Amino acid sequence: MITRRSEYGGLRGKLFEIDWLLPTLIFMTGLLGVAMIYASTKGVWDAGAQQHLTRLIMGLSLMILIAVIDFRFWFGMAYPAYLASLLLLIGVEVFGVSVNGSQRWLDIYVTRIQPSEIMKLAVVLALARFYHDLPDWRISKPTGVLGALIIIALPALLVLRQPDLGTTLLIIAPGLMIIFLAGVRWRIIGSGLIAAAIAVPLFYKFGLKDYQRERIWTFLDPSRDPSGASYHITQSKIALGSGGVNGKGFMKGTQANLDYVPENRTDFIFTVIGEQFGLLGGIGMMALYMGIAAICMIIAARMKNVFSKLMIAGITATFMLYVYINLAMVTGLAPVVGVPLPLISYGGTVMLVVLAGFGLILSAHVHRNSDLPRGAGLLL
Amino acid sequence: MSDREKLNKEFSRRALVLGGGGMTLFGIIGARLHNLQVVHGQDYRTLSENNQFNFQIIVPDRGRIIDRNGFALATNRMDYRLMIVPERIENIDLTLRHLSTFLDIGERQSQRIQRDIKRNRGFVPVLIEDHLTWEQFAALNLNLPDLPGVIPQSGQTRQYPPDGEFSHILGYVGKPGPKALEEDDNPLLRQPTFQIGKTGVEAVVDKRLRGERGRLKVEVNALGRIVREFPNESDAARPGEDVYLTIDSKLQTQTAKAFGEESGGAVVMDVQTGELRVLLSMPTFDANLFVSGLTQADMDRMNADEKRPQFNKVIGGGYPPASTFKMVVAMAGLENGLINPNESVFCKGKVQLGPRTFHCWKRRGHGRMDMRNAVKHSCDSYFYTMAERIGIDRIKQMGLRMGLGQTFDIGIEGQSPGLLPDDEWKRNHLNDAWRTGDSFNASIGQGFVLATPLQLAVMAARLANGKYAVTPHLIVGGGVPDFDLLKVNPEHLGHMQSAMYAVCEEPGGTAYRPNSMGFEGVKMAGKTGTGQVKGISAAERAVRVRRNEELPWKFRDHSIFVGYAPFDNPRFAASCIVEHGGSGARKAADMVRGMLRSALASDGYETRANLTEDM
Repeated sequence: MITRRSEYGGLRGKLFEIDWLLPTLIFMTGLLGVAMIYASTKGVWDAGAQQHLTRLIMGLSLMILIAVIDFRFWFGMAYPAYLASLLLLIGVEVFGVSVNGSQRWLDIYVTRIQPSEIMKLAVVLALARFYHDLPDWRISKPTGVLGALIIIALPALLVLRQPDLGTTLLIIAPGLMIIFLAGVRWRIIGSGLIAAAIAVPLFYKFGLKDYQRERIWTFLDPSRDPSGASYHITQSKIALGSGGVNGKGFMKGTQANLDYVPENRTDFIFTVIGEQFGLLGGIGMMALYMGIAAICMIIAARMKNVFSKLMIAGITATFMLYVYINLAMVTGLAPVVGVPLPLISYGGTVMLVVLAGFGLILSAHVHRNSDLPRGAGLLL
Repeated sequence: MSDREKLNKEFSRRALVLGGGGMTLFGIIGARLHNLQVVHGQDYRTLSENNQFNFQIIVPDRGRIIDRNGFALATNRMDYRLMIVPERIENIDLTLRHLSTFLDIGERQSQRIQRDIKRNRGFVPVLIEDHLTWEQFAALNLNLPDLPGVIPQSGQTRQYPPDGEFSHILGYVGKPGPKALEEDDNPLLRQPTFQIGKTGVEAVVDKRLRGERGRLKVEVNALGRIVREFPNESDAARPGEDVYLTIDSKLQTQTAKAFGEESGGAVVMDVQTGELRVLLSMPTFDANLFVSGLTQADMDRMNADEKRPQFNKVIGGGYPPASTFKMVVAMAGLENGLINPNESVFCKGKVQLGPRTFHCWKRRGHGRMDMRNAVKHSCDSYFYTMAERIGIDRIKQMGLRMGLGQTFDIGIEGQSPGLLPDDEWKRNHLNDAWRTGDSFNASIGQGFVLATPLQLAVMAARLANGKYAVTPHLIVGGGVPDFDLLKVNPEHLGHMQSAMYAVCEEPGGTAYRPNSMGFEGVKMAGKTGTGQVKGISAAERAVRVRRNEELPWKFRDHSIFVGYAPFDNPRFAASCIVEHGGSGARKAADMVRGMLRSALASDGYETRANLTEDM
């Protein structure tokens, strides 16, 4: 195989190969987050904005670092990362630290880590690897479908037990999309949807905690609890709605300045955008996310191997699901599940995981011409 | 096309499907935003402004209560207090526990707080505690960031003179009770710190003192904390009116001091206008305690006191008027032509009525007594004799004309009408006919007759005035009322006044004191009384009448005196009852003399006396 020096020749060559449009859009989105956190804390620079900027820069550095590391390394890491994350999740189950009634954290002396966040990436890697190694004729056979479902189900059940509905959703949904994109027959997908239609009510009955059910009910009928859970969503809608088309102006959101919307530095930060910049600001922000997703999917389409395609699509799907779930929640279209707006909401773990994911996408792109062997997976 | 290529094509196709799905989701969210921000934008803007702005009720300053010389008796002072807005607090118990590290919240208090929270809607602030010290207030202000929904506030509260000599007149303020809240829908009453008059003048003229509420537009954050204020001149609160009393606070205070530890009541009244310059009931209480919330210990102490500090004796206490009632009997006799002032009765120390013996206070007897001397020496035998002749009905009639047996329109509550008994009363209440013996007892102001210190002062004022049936008043306003004519024969009145003069100014009079007024040319007139509390049994009398000082306080006689001055141009009438004051009427007589002297001094009499001396 002929290789050009500029493609693989050293670090400079690799940096040259990065599709810089993607980091630029990511950086812009992150900066929007810095500005909105600054506004939500009423202009106190070190009450979140500064930390967010630091994390953004550190995360972008990590992203570039991941991008320049040979993609075959990441390819090889797919199953080990998955198994390690699974072990960490079991560790949480056994040794975990409880915060606000949910056992999500693992204390490793230096810092607390949230294995469920790492699992979001690991599950995508494992599934991509699974279909990469699978002979094409077996994709729609029981091995192809059930194998993938098991890879999804193991972490999903562990995360649900913590309990963390949002993350469970963010593990299952991208996983199912990978199955879909891998080429499983429509017939099987159709029967799967029917099965889900039966399973969801059962899940509601037996799989959810009381407070999670309560959230769904409050969402469906806000008058149930005017000062409790739906206070959140009511104030959130007031903030968005009062922004109108053009918004009240930067730092001029009264709902934000007077603390009417709780958590508006984290999960409800979109209310700050909507109140200050109105409908136009909201659409602008969605355009940024769409741009990021579009670039990722164009990269995916250009990939020559199954692993890269599915991994990129899976990571993109995870990223966009964050956005959809968060926006649906904040605009009152979905129950409050506690999913942040990636790159914009204050919070370190999500930022790190999302940027690491983009690092993987960039790495796949940089090393798009290297060969990935098939059928050398752990399981087959 | 290889399988792999086919699959790649399939991937792209399916990715497009997902991408389309993603766009659709953005479309739905965009439509939702359009719905919220454009279609309902105005509604949400209104809601956002409702969040942002609030109107606060401004409690007006309560009007002051001021004495005749301009001394403010009931005033307002700064008070620091703490409130919570229940709907802004997630866990009220936790917040209360947190607050109790700064202040002492008792069991009863936390029950009251819980009740207030339940009774009001969530946004109505509930009072946690008022009358905080500045240190507590400052400490709380520092800790505010940890205490959402907690609002420290400074405002006005009522303050009264600490010694309490005006407590019975002024009354006190307090939080409106359920009844007041039901009757009055004024939003001011729902303000946690607002107080209404509960008793006394505070209650009578409450509406005048209240003032009118103002309002203030404020910007409020989600924790209920005010971020910005938008004051507007036309929305300011209008303070309540000041209310003036006829009371002379200096004289009232002086009188209270003279009472010392004694119990009873004293009145000084303007003979011409009926203005009350002193209206004192002793002992008294500190009304400030009622404003800040009475502790059980305070309450127990007050209830246990046998001198009953809370009881307004000067208008509500019915006492046997004793010998001060003799003027009523004498006037009844004169006016009905049944007494000739020159006619004498021989007092041999007792009068026999059938089997019963009625004793004169002087066991050896006074000898020959005409009307003037009978009053001067307070001879009981003379009045026993006259009472039999006049009869209780005529005595009662005269009593009513002199102001006994009735209440007056002085505003404050708690007046007792006293009692002027007659045959009908006795039949109704004791199921027995009126007997001559009852008239004997009544003639010396004992038995069933009861009068309040206020009524006795009115009696003295009417005897001094002579022309008008003066009535007392307390609250300034409405000018001098038109009094009814007294309609007594001036000649008879002259006899009466002369006899009362003899009591005070002639040697041998029961209250004689040389140069009693202390001013050149100013004389006084009056009458003593010794109200018997415990009947003297025949057995006791046989041994010897026990001296008063030997009796327990509760059984000692009441010391009573009524009088007026100056004799020739009456200005003030006064009365005083010292409960169980013992030793005859001296105590009360000294009190009245002192009050009259001070009242005249403050009216400029001293100056006039000095001038006389200089010339």
